[in-house]
Amino acid sequence: IHPSSDEDGIEQDLLVSGSLRIIDKDGEIIVEYRPLEDTVDPSNMLCAGKDSSSVVEWAQCPGERSHQLLETQQSYETEWDMVNAVSFKRKPCPNGEGESRWAFTFSVSDLRSITVKEEGWTFLIFKLKESSTTLPTLHFHQGGSREFLDSLRRFVCVLCVCRTPDDETCLIVSTPNKALSQSFENLLDDNNFGLVHKFKKDPYVTTLGGFSKVTNYIFDAFRGTEEQHQRPPEEVADLLGEVIPGLEINQQEEPGFEVITRIDLGTRPQVTRREPLSADDWTKHQDPEGRMIQIPHLRQVIFKGGLCHAVRKEAWKFLLGYFPWDSTLEERKALQRNKTDEYFRMKLQWKSVSEEQERRNSRLRDYRSLIEKDVNRTDRTNRFYEGIDNPGLVLLHDILMTYCMYDFDLGYVQGMSDLLSPILYVMENEVDAFWCFVSFMDQMHQNFEEQMQGMKTQLIQLSTLLRLLDLAFWNYLESQDSGYLYFCFRWLLIRFKRELSFQDVLRLWEVMWTGLPCQNFHLLVCCAILDSEKQKIMEENYGFNEILKHINELSMKLDIEEILQKAEGISLQIKSCKDLPDSVSSILGFTSDVSGSEPSNPGSPWAPRATQRQDACSNGHGHLRETSSHNSCKVAFIS
Amino acid sequence: MTTKTSLLKVILLGDGGVGKSSIMNRYVTNKFDAHLFHTIGVEFLNKDLEVDGHQVTLQIWDTAGQERFRSLRTPFYRGSDCCLLTFSVDDNQSFLNLGNWKKEFIYYADVKEPEKFPFVVLGNKLDVTERQVSTEEAQQWCQENGDYPYYETSAKDATNVAVAFEEAVRRVLAMDERTDHLIPTDTVKLHRKPRSAATCCS
Ligand SMILES: Nc1nc2c(ncn2[C@@H]2O[C@H](COP(=O)(O)OP(=O)(O)O)[C@@H](O)[C@H]2O)c(=O)[nH]1
Ligand SMILES: [Mg+2]
Repeated sequence: IHPSSDEDGIEQDLLVSGSLRIIDKDGEIIVEYRPLEDTVDPSNMLCAGKDSSSVVEWAQCPGERSHQLLETQQSYETEWDMVNAVSFKRKPCPNGEGESRWAFTFSVSDLRSITVKEEGWTFLIFKLKESSTTLPTLHFHQGGSREFLDSLRRFVCVLCVCRTPDDETCLIVSTPNKALSQSFENLLDDNNFGLVHKFKKDPYVTTLGGFSKVTNYIFDAFRGTEEQHQRPPEEVADLLGEVIPGLEINQQEEPGFEVITRIDLGTRPQVTRREPLSADDWTKHQDPEGRMIQIPHLRQVIFKGGLCHAVRKEAWKFLLGYFPWDSTLEERKALQRNKTDEYFRMKLQWKSVSEEQERRNSRLRDYRSLIEKDVNRTDRTNRFYEGIDNPGLVLLHDILMTYCMYDFDLGYVQGMSDLLSPILYVMENEVDAFWCFVSFMDQMHQNFEEQMQGMKTQLIQLSTLLRLLDLAFWNYLESQDSGYLYFCFRWLLIRFKRELSFQDVLRLWEVMWTGLPCQNFHLLVCCAILDSEKQKIMEENYGFNEILKHINELSMKLDIEEILQKAEGISLQIKSCKDLPDSVSSILGFTSDVSGSEPSNPGSPWAPRATQRQDACSNGHGHLRETSSHNSCKVAFIS
Repeated sequence: MTTKTSLLKVILLGDGGVGKSSIMNRYVTNKFDAHLFHTIGVEFLNKDLEVDGHQVTLQIWDTAGQERFRSLRTPFYRGSDCCLLTFSVDDNQSFLNLGNWKKEFIYYADVKEPEKFPFVVLGNKLDVTERQVSTEEAQQWCQENGDYPYYETSAKDATNVAVAFEEAVRRVLAMDERTDHLIPTDTVKLHRKPRSAATCCS
């Protein structure tokens, strides 16, 4: 401590050396700072570093953590009986001189934020939630601040990190409403299943469970005393985490968490949807040769209201890119002739494979068998595919088989019949449906590839967006082992095909195909649905399994216009942010050129204002207000 | 004793199209939906039942069978108390694949003592007339692979579906009794399945 703080400025050269400890006292985690006996002697100033490095040691020997922790607890047990009785609030600045004057303790649950500053060495400023008194700044002349923060991070959730222009970092922290339910000593000493179980069930601990270091720490502890006891959902989630590895990366970065910059999102604008584009309006957008004109306007209208059904058959071909917007009617006829030839050439290829040949072609056999099975289980209540000998079924089958010839490496993967079915329904024509499907598959291809990279990427992107939009909810999901958003798998794989009624799927898809209002709009659709469900999920305190079940069971209960409205609102909300993190801008395809690219926005109600930025971190988290008084506060989240 | 409810996780595995989803729906909702979609991702349904005086909540997990989705399917094998290996009596290939499903399950569920794990084998679509797999063949496979109970079921007309699930529960309970407890729902699972990698520093 440098007591020469600006307020008194008297004891300029004074340094108070001391030690900093994190102590578990009956389940309450306490940070203690105690000056050394001869605090006034500057030669002792390294002690802050020295002692916090004992915390470091404890943190850095994974194998021995449990033992060291135990020692810590035991050795301070008696002292802490006393200290614990004196809470910080009652004793912000204990009377008198010397050491006791500078000693302080606080419970991490009272901690609101930690500001980290660099000035050749690091110093930390703690702010408590309900105290206007700032604790003395701690200077780590000998290093060790990182380790201290790392250790502390076991006991608090760092909700966001704010970086200010002068290299100040503010960590906004949150502790669970409950203190650590079972103290570590109980946990480690006792093989009692009930205890272990309680510990595992404790929401705080599950919150921590999301942070792999802590998970390891806890499980290392278990291993010493008892066989490992992971709840199945946790095991499942861990394994999913290995399959969807991208999210882990966040934890590697200095200082242990990902830094995503952002600013206050402001309020979400209300938007209204419009009527579907009529056949008349569609023809008005054609010139005499049949070229489509005023495309941006056309797209905009389709985005805002979709298409009336009569227009779909033609309009979808443009939206999907089968027809070029600027082609003439003649050119399109020629194109269709060529594409028809090409289609039947490929169709003939599988049609002409003899039984003998197929017996020796296991991949083709497998594709065929899967397609046959799935065609019988795709939209069978739709008039186009119902009944036993419906020609729609044959077309669905033939197009999928032909697609295998078009892209034999990919072949047929489950889910593709869902993507084709609405297209075929709208086209009512084998060849057009095939080529439109090909275009759609160009967008969706990665979802179905061997490594399912498209799925992984989307889950990670969705997670990034959700953290920006609703950190509290994302943290909740993370605490329930659901941070990988696995439950959105079906949504993403087949673009909500199973979630919405058939007619609503048509509407959603044509809206998506406009490419408006931003890239990856479907991820915002996910965010919109989750936004509507989060209250239920959090209020009911759903766990991993229940979240999965709840989301699965939303199928056919969603209102497409409401979702689109909300998703568009979200896109405007995000777009109006001037300092969007690059990760988010690149997902949504917003250019990084923010300076004046949106001159029309400042007057709009949701435009960011300097005054709003001050509580940049409050988004999504009620009890977080204060971050930094600097205008361009950038925010990061720990994952 | 009767106030305790055990939560048991049961998983249906087998080739696509053998009727796993139909069996699950038949059992839980007592309906057969001929228009059912093929499964994408994983789903589960709960069903409460009483077996030999034990209150049990069955959590029945159903997955998509295609190879491509394996990596996103197999994590859900963890923590299963019982596995229902399913084939369709009118599809010989699905019968031949039983062994692969069993292997995949044991590997990914991280089963410690595969010989003792309770598998139950279901030959579904009993109502179909053109059989490709005979009862004898199937029974023989079950005998040779660990003396598994075998049931021929029809999700369509409900034959043997409930019986098969009840047998699955009995097998699990029998396992539990050997290791001596029936535990309340909220502490279920904690006594089982140590991890292989668990190191011991004591
Ligand atoms: N005849 C008959 N058909 C069945 C039976 N069970 C399922 N099916 C049909 O077999 C097809 C595949 O069933 P599904 O439950 O989707 O199989 P899964 O892929 O294993 O989940 C569907 O068309 C069902 O209607 C059954 O017991 N008898
Ligand atoms: Mg299924």
